[in-house]
Amino acid sequence: MEGRRFSFQRLGLLLRRDLLSGYRSTVIAMLAVGGFILIVGVLAAFGPAAGGVHRGLYTGLLFLGGFIVTSMVFREVRLNAQGIHYLCLPGSTLEKFLSKLLLTAAGYGVGTLIFYTAVAALTEGINRLAFGHGHPFFNPLARDNLRSLAAYLISQSVFLLGSIYFRKLHFVKTVLSLVVFALGLMVIGTSLARVVFKELFIGPLLNLQPYMEELSRSGELQAILGPLAHRFQLALRILLASAVAPLCWVVSYLRLRETEV
Amino acid sequence: MVEIRNLSFAYARKRLFTNLDLLLEPGNIYGLLGKNGAGKTTLLKIICGLRFPQRGECRVLGHLSSLRPAALLEDIFLLPEELYIPPLTPQLYTSLYGPFYRRFDHSVLKSCLKEFELEPAANLSELSFGQKKKFLIAFGLATGSRLLLLDEPTNGLDIPSKSQFRRLMARAGAEGRVVLISTHQVRDMEQLIDPIIILDDGQVIFQQSMAEIGRRLAMTLEPEPPAAGTALHSEKTLGGFVTVRENRSGEDSRMDIEVLFNAVTGNREQIRELFAGQPSGSGRREV
Repeated sequence: MEGRRFSFQRLGLLLRRDLLSGYRSTVIAMLAVGGFILIVGVLAAFGPAAGGVHRGLYTGLLFLGGFIVTSMVFREVRLNAQGIHYLCLPGSTLEKFLSKLLLTAAGYGVGTLIFYTAVAALTEGINRLAFGHGHPFFNPLARDNLRSLAAYLISQSVFLLGSIYFRKLHFVKTVLSLVVFALGLMVIGTSLARVVFKELFIGPLLNLQPYMEELSRSGELQAILGPLAHRFQLALRILLASAVAPLCWVVSYLRLRETEV
Repeated sequence: MVEIRNLSFAYARKRLFTNLDLLLEPGNIYGLLGKNGAGKTTLLKIICGLRFPQRGECRVLGHLSSLRPAALLEDIFLLPEELYIPPLTPQLYTSLYGPFYRRFDHSVLKSCLKEFELEPAANLSELSFGQKKKFLIAFGLATGSRLLLLDEPTNGLDIPSKSQFRRLMARAGAEGRVVLISTHQVRDMEQLIDPIIILDDGQVIFQQSMAEIGRRLAMTLEPEPPAAGTALHSEKTLGGFVTVRENRSGEDSRMDIEVLFNAVTGNREQIRELFAGQPSGSGRREV
């Protein structure tokens, strides 16, 4: 049966619906953010921190803006009448989930990159015309910007999960959960260190000074531990990059499937 | 079309349905009646997959409704009591939501809106509650969905709209769709809903066609209350006592749905015995 299969046509319809249903709010938000960038960009032309203004603004818009937008994406599902309206739309749970994911991950990420490039170009054009100088133009393909985009695509998955998992205050509760998770890790790490390096503790503090001195004296040990630490760090990054987002996506999808209104 | 078997459902603090069975067949406009909190809205939600049964199953057109497959959602249109309509122009709404339904018919939408005498609005959010409801009813009929679930559809409709609504629904029933109307406004639905389903104590306690009801029960207006044990139900009304008795005359009787509801919920056992042999759980309308 046709309706049982994944349909790109329905996915397209859902994307179109998600985009156009809130187009007024999107346009207002873009005008507000664009105006803010323009003002800060022009004001910063006189300041000492002129060089990094676009990088900072872009990163803030990408991460903070993206996390807030992502946190609100499933809000309608949790509102009774809107939830009924949305969940009764003829589309499978996977199609509905993918439309929200594409919109907030790739859609927001790439959209912000294009939008920021345009606004920054306008800002710098004004700076040069009005004051005869400005900041360097914002390069959307700069390595740092692309790395930020990649980092956003991974980290936003946590907020996507928060959006469907929590009933209210999605953004605040997701941030709070991350803080609690980090504190939990810290407590576990500290407790483990207490056990493993028991004799190195002086009161509540871990004194690694003797080991560090030994390590700096022993070139052989440094040659072994240095690359090992680097590899461990790299493995951890790959693990985080490849596991966090898919895990959050799967849990979000399951949560959407189980949602009742 | 809708087959509910052995369904149990409970909210955190309240058991609602226990081993509920229900069968809905095409071409009928079912009236779903029940007291406040009997679970009428929840039953509609279970049928379209917005609530999941804890036990048993609900199948619509062969699909398990709790899986919410797209093919099923395309064949169900739910008009909830609490409406949501996005702040869009009617044209944009139709162009965004219409394509989700393969059988969506713009000419049906147009004719239904005309029937409802709904003036074109700049934005749907500017419409009154009743107008929004009429727009959604028209949209629901245009989707071509084979199952229409309507929760208190006449609440908020003005007097002319109620008869327009009845005309449109009668047409939908005649097209072979299933229309399930949950309502307390039974006066608005007389001459429309048939069969009648009554929910009480977590069960479907009554599901019969109006013809069968007229054959088995007789309603009379009498000046005095009936002697004890001679009637199934009696209630005081203007001009006397409306009394429900077993129909022994062999002539079909016309039944007031409100009185019927009170008679059924007040005399479950006697009514069950009287209708014994009639399959409770199908109650097909007789044409």
